[in-house]
Order: sequence, then C-alpha cells, then structure tokens
Amino acid sequence: MATSSKRRLPIFLVIIAGVFIVFWVGLLSGSIMWTSDQPPLMVIPDMDNQSKVSPQEQVNYFADRSADRAPLEYTIPRYAEFYRATSIAEAEEMYSNSLPSSEWILARGKNRFETFCAVCHGAEGAGDGTIGERSATLKPPSLIAPGALTLGYTDAHLFHIISMGQNIMPGYRDKLKEVDRWAVINYVRSLQRKHLGEDALQQAHAQPEADMAMNEGEDMTDANAEGEQQ
Amino acid sequence: MFTRQIDKRLKTTFILFGALAAVTGLSAYFGLHPRVSDVGYRPEQPVPFSHKLHAGDLGVKCMYCHNTVEQAGHSAVPSTSTCMNCHTAVLPESPRLEQVRESSKSGKPIEWRRVHKLPDYVNFNHSGHIRAGIDCASCHGEVETMGVVTQMHPLNMGWCLDCHRDPVNMVVPAREISGIFMGMKTYEEVADMWANEPPTWGDGKWLSTWRTPDKRMLTWKAPSELDSAAIQAAMQAHEEGFLGVGVTQHTFLADGPAADGMSVPKKPALGPENCGSCHY
Ligand code: HEC
Ligand code: HEC
Ligand code: HEC
Ligand code: HEC
Ligand code: HEC
Ligand code: HEC
Repeated sequence: MATSSKRRLPIFLVIIAGVFIVFWVGLLSGSIMWTSDQPPLMVIPDMDNQSKVSPQEQVNYFADRSADRAPLEYTIPRYAEFYRATSIAEAEEMYSNSLPSSEWILARGKNRFETFCAVCHGAEGAGDGTIGERSATLKPPSLIAPGALTLGYTDAHLFHIISMGQNIMPGYRDKLKEVDRWAVINYVRSLQRKHLGEDALQQAHAQPEADMAMNEGEDMTDANAEGEQQ
Repeated sequence: MFTRQIDKRLKTTFILFGALAAVTGLSAYFGLHPRVSDVGYRPEQPVPFSHKLHAGDLGVKCMYCHNTVEQAGHSAVPSTSTCMNCHTAVLPESPRLEQVRESSKSGKPIEWRRVHKLPDYVNFNHSGHIRAGIDCASCHGEVETMGVVTQMHPLNMGWCLDCHRDPVNMVVPAREISGIFMGMKTYEEVADMWANEPPTWGDGKWLSTWRTPDKRMLTWKAPSELDSAAIQAAMQAHEEGFLGVGVTQHTFLADGPAADGMSVPKKPALGPENCGSCHY
C-alpha cells in the first residue's frame, strides 16, 4: 500500500509506470505502430463483408478461386482492344502509325516508356536497365546505338514487338492500350532522333530492307514509317 | 461504520477498480479505432515477394505491376504472367518462386492476402485520385521501402474526409517511382508547384484538377470558372488522337492523364463531400 504510506515511492516503480504510460498513450494515439499478422479486429462488422464479389477477391464458387473471370471462348469484352496480327508481315499490313508526335503525346510516350520499358531497356533506350545487372539474359540491344536494328524497322514492326514480344521480351498488349503503344513508338523515334539525328532515321528507312535479320522476305515500304513524322 | 482498516481497504479497492476500469475503457475506446486496430496489419504472403527489392532497388515503377490504377477503380495486384515477364529469365530455379512457376503452369492465380480493405459498402476509386496527381505514398506509405506490405493509414471515413477537406497537408505529389503521368510537367516541377502554389480547395464546391496542353496543371477550379480557351485546348488534344477527353457540364476531364479509355467517375458532379460519391 504505497499510496497511504509516508515512504517515498520506489524510483524504479515510477520509471516502470512512466514507461508503461508513455507506451500506452503512444500505442493508443497511433504514434507507435504495432504490426500484426492477424486481420484487424471487427467488433461490429455492420455490412462490411457482403456476399457480392468484388475484383480480385477469392471465391469458393470457382475451381481456381479467382473472382476475375476470363471472357468466354469466342467472345471479346466490349471496348476491348484485340491484337489481331500474328506475324510482322501481317502487322505491317494491318497497322500504321497515325498518332502525331505532338509534345503532349511524346510526354505520354516518355511516361509509358519509363514505366514499362526502362527497367530492361534503360531510361534512354540504351539497353542499360537495372534488370540487366541481375540477369545474364534480359539484356536487350540498344535502341539508340548507330546501326541499331530498330532504326530500320517500320513503326508497325515495333508495334508488333511491343504487342507480342520478341524472343525473351514479353508482350505488353495487356498493359498498354493501343494509343499508348503508338505514343511509346513515337517516343522511341524521338530518342533515336535525339541521339542519332534526323538523317540516320531517314537513311535507315530509305535502305532496302534486305539486310534486316529478323524478318525474312516480306516487302516493306516505308510508307507507314513516314506517316508518323510530323 | 467500518473499522478504520476496512475503510482504508475499501477505499484502495475502489481506487484500484476505478483505475482499472478507466484503463480498460480508454484502451477499448482508443484501441478499437482503426488508427490502432487496423494500422500495422501485415499478413504473411504466400510468396516472399518484396517491394523493397523490386520497387526500391530495381526501380520497377508501381504502375508496371499495378497497371490498372490509372483507369479503373480497383488497383490490380499483378497476375502471374507479370512476374513471369522477368522470372522466366531471372532466377528461373529459385525455390522461393516455386509457387509462381506452378501458378503460371496451372493458370491458378496466387492467392495473395489482401492488406488494404474497405468495407463492401464503400465505393472507392483509384483512378480519380491518381489522375489528380496524388501519389500512392499518400495513402499507402512508402511501399518501396517495405519488405512486406503493411497498412500505414487507418482507411476510416474520417481519414478520407480529413484529406478531402484539406488535401494540401496530406497529399504527397506524384513521385517518379509511381509512374503516374503528369503531362508535360516533370515530377520536380509538380512537387515544386505543390509546395509553392498549392491547389486550393475552395468553399465547399466540387473542385477538380485539370490539366491542359497550355501547361496549366494542378490548379483546382470550380467548373464555372473554366474559360473557353482551356476547353478549346482540350478539344484540340482530343482531336489529336487522345480519347477520353470529356467536357461535361460539371467536370472537366482535360486530356493528359485522362488519355485513353479512363473511366469517368461514377458521380462526377457530386463532389467528395457528398455521401453518395463514396457510398453507392
Ligand atoms: C523484361 C525486360 C524487357 C522489357 C520490360 C521490355 N523489353 Fe524490349 N526487349 C527485351 C529483350 C531481352 C529484347 C531482345 C529480344 C531478342 O533477343 O530478340 C528486347 C527487344 C526489343 C526490341 C527489338 C530490338 C531489336 O533490335 O531487335 C524493341 C523494339 C523493344 N524491345 C521495345 C520495347 C518496348 C517499347 C518496351 C516497353 C513497352 C520493352 N521493349 C520492354 C527486354 C524487355
Ligand atoms: C514487381 C511487381 C510490383 C511492383 C513494381 C509493385 N508492386 Fe505492389 N504488389 C505486388 C504484388 C505481387 C502484391 C501482392 C502481394 C503483397 O501484398 O506483397 C502487391 C501489393 C501491393 C499493395 C497491397 C495490396 C493489398 O492487398 O492491399 C500495395 C498498397 C502496393 N502493392 C503498392 C505498390 C506501390 C506503391 C508500388 C510502387 C512503389 C508497388 N506496389 C510496386 C507487385 C508489385
Ligand atoms: C522487372 C522484372 C521483375 C518482375 C516483373 C518481377 N521480378 Fe521478382 N525479381 C527480379 C529480380 C531482378 C530479382 C532479384 C534477383 C537477384 O537478387 O539477383 C527478383 C527477385 C525475386 C524474389 C526473390 C527470389 C530469391 O530467390 O531471392 C522473389 C520471391 C520474386 N522476385 C518474386 C516476384 C513476384 C511474385 C513477381 C510478380 C508479382 C515478380 N517477382 C516480378 C525481377 C522481377
Ligand atoms: C487516395 C488514397 C489512395 C491512393 C492515392 C492510392 N491508393 Fe491504393 N488503395 C487505397 C484504398 C482505400 C484501398 C482499399 C480499396 C478497397 O478495399 O476497395 C487501396 C487498395 C490498393 C490495392 C489492393 C487492391 C485490391 O483490390 O486488392 C493496391 C494493389 C493498391 N491500392 C495500389 C496502389 C498504387 C500502386 C497506388 C499508386 C499508383 C495507389 N494504390 C494509390 C487508397 C489509395
Ligand atoms: C491524400 C488525400 C486523399 C485521401 C486520403 C482520399 N482522397 Fe478522395 N480525393 C482526393 C482529392 C484531392 C480528390 C479530388 C480529385 C480531383 O479533383 O480530380 C478526391 C476525389 C475523390 C472522389 C471523387 C472522384 C472520383 O474518383 O469519383 C471520391 C469518390 C473519393 N475521393 C473518395 C475517397 C475515399 C472513399 C477515400 C477514403 C478511402 C478517399 N477518397 C481518400 C484526395 C484524397
Ligand atoms: C470520402 C468518402 C466518404 C464520404 C463522402 C462519406 N463516407 Fe461514410 N464511409 C466512408 C468510408 C471509407 C467508410 C468505412 C469506414 C471504416 O472502414 O470503418 C464509411 C463508413 C460509414 C458508415 C459506417 C461507419 C461504421 O463505423 O460502421 C456510415 C454510417 C457512413 N459512412 C455514413 C456516411 C454519411 C451519412 C455520409 C454523408 C454525410 C458519408 N458517410 C459520406 C467514406 C465516405
């Protein structure tokens, strides 16, 4: 009964009580964070957990427990973009770049390039992304070196690479909308122009395409490649 | 009534019980607030995926994996194919990635444990916030420093409203690591602008961030104050090929982040102070 006695409180008790109070107040005011693996306590769950299914939830109804369902076979979602070309030649027939290289669109292309491509290709497309340091294989060729293959590719060819990937590079048609992919292409062209000059680009497109390694034998005009320049 | 000693004992008992009740009461009252009960939730994930490694060290932008935030209400937790973009070549044999490979083979998604969860009666939309240039860190903390994602904010209604009433104090302007599109402004310029010339949240009106090609950005204006020049500029951007530019009576979703196919908020004119904009 320390309270009633005339003796002074033991100092260590005061310290312990003090520490406890500081800790307690800190915890309750949210200044001290207590991490836990357990789901937050729900005293009154109201209508927090309804039986509706929201995106990315796990449901027992389906065998794979995923609430996100793929479209049925032979159907495509409304407004979905559907990449139809199966080869570079087909892509060049079907697609051409009609997006202008306005400042705004280049800004969009830069943002998308830095988000989706720069990890491997490097911020400027030189092939020096951070993944290359950790992996022996994910080292793409430079997009801006003199004589880079991409210089000579048509825009539709690039469109095909971005959509479907190439060898070890994954395709990005599910992450980038068509208009964003064209914006990225315009940005890649602007990078090439910046590093190699307009002439290099023009020349590469004027050359006969025979010496290009990747695609054998389809005739390419540079009509759609020219379409995109201002 | 009682002897002195019993009297004294009673007194101490009362004091002790009183103190105990007070401590329990206060603990329950404050402890059950989401600030205490929800913050710090850090479930173990089925795969030891680390944001610190991927986002922090490797510099993979948030939107590389969470790519729907700009357009959709929810933010996609990446599918297995996103992991396999790199992990077919990076550490293809690592035992820690066993589940990822298995999931990629069978098509059965990895069951990530959900960290941030609002009640089902709340209608939260990422895209509106991301397009306004609000960084992930304002609501999720600095995820790129976390080995395991931890909930850093209470996500209760008061927290939403605190920010809506006075966004300047709580908003972290878009940072490079997030990959949020800020038009022709660089991230430094955006941060600068936010620091020196913060957007004002006017007199209870529904305000909207809008950005136009004439470089006016991050100004928050009531729709009635929109001048026709800005609308012209946005329409021009629309004609230049960017879809999703909407000029409605109420909100003005100018080009830029609204670039393509982004959802228009469900109830554009209501404003975040209206119950219906968050509660279906
Ligand atoms: C996961 C890493 C990775 C990402 C992300 C990536 N790439 Fe690639 N990319 C590669 C690799 C590796 C190659 C080389 C493929 C080969 O060997 O044929 C390549 C090749 C290319 C080529 C052909 C180069 C040539 O000379 O043949 C182009 C063009 C290209 N990528 C563009 C892009 C664009 C645009 C993006 C962003 C949407 C992107 N890449 C994202 C890894 C990546
Ligand atoms: C390499 C892909 C990748 C990158 C890059 C990435 N994330 Fe994630 N993120 C994931 C995966 C996978 C999960 C689910 C597993 C988990 O919670 O750790 C996740 C979970 C999250 C969650 C918790 C979701 C929930 O269940 O509530 C948040 C918040 C989050 N990420 C934010 C970010 C932010 C912010 C960044 C950028 C700094 C980022 N992520 C970068 C893959 C990624
Ligand atoms: C942009 C490329 C990239 C993507 C996308 C990516 N990773 Fe990684 N991941 C890496 C790299 C690089 C490393 C580190 C390799 C090293 O340490 O040398 C790594 C390491 C890991 C490790 C640690 C493995 C070990 O044995 O130490 C795990 C686990 C992992 N990743 C899971 C994932 C998951 C799950 C996803 C999908 C959400 C994912 N990664 C997506 C590039 C990526
Ligand atoms: C205005 C605050 C806010 C901002 C900004 C924000 N988030 Fe969220 N995020 C939330 C809330 C709230 C939830 C919980 C949503 C729910 O339960 O419906 C959430 C959930 C998530 C989830 C889990 C979604 C799911 O369905 O499992 C991920 C992943 C995520 N956020 C990533 C991000 C990324 C990446 C960014 C930045 C590009 C970001 N968030 C920006 C508030 C925010
Ligand atoms: C960090 C600050 C911040 C937080 C936290 C925040 N918001 Fe917002 N929110 C904003 C700002 C700023 C806007 C206005 C965006 C604009 O003007 O374009 C907004 C707009 C909205 C809108 C209207 C736009 C739309 O997408 O429909 C809704 C609804 C909304 N918020 C809901 C929520 C909910 C629900 C939460 C809590 C889970 C929340 N917000 C948390 C800053 C925040
Ligand atoms: C900015 C978005 C937003 C607005 C506006 C908003 N709410 Fe909420 N409300 C929330 C969120 C988020 C929650 C979930 C809180 C939680 O998780 O505890 C919530 C929860 C609630 C709850 C349940 C609280 C509980 O603890 O069970 C009620 C009741 C409610 N809101 C009423 C209203 C009313 C009435 C209005 C209009 C005056 C309103 N809300 C406006 C976001 C909002």
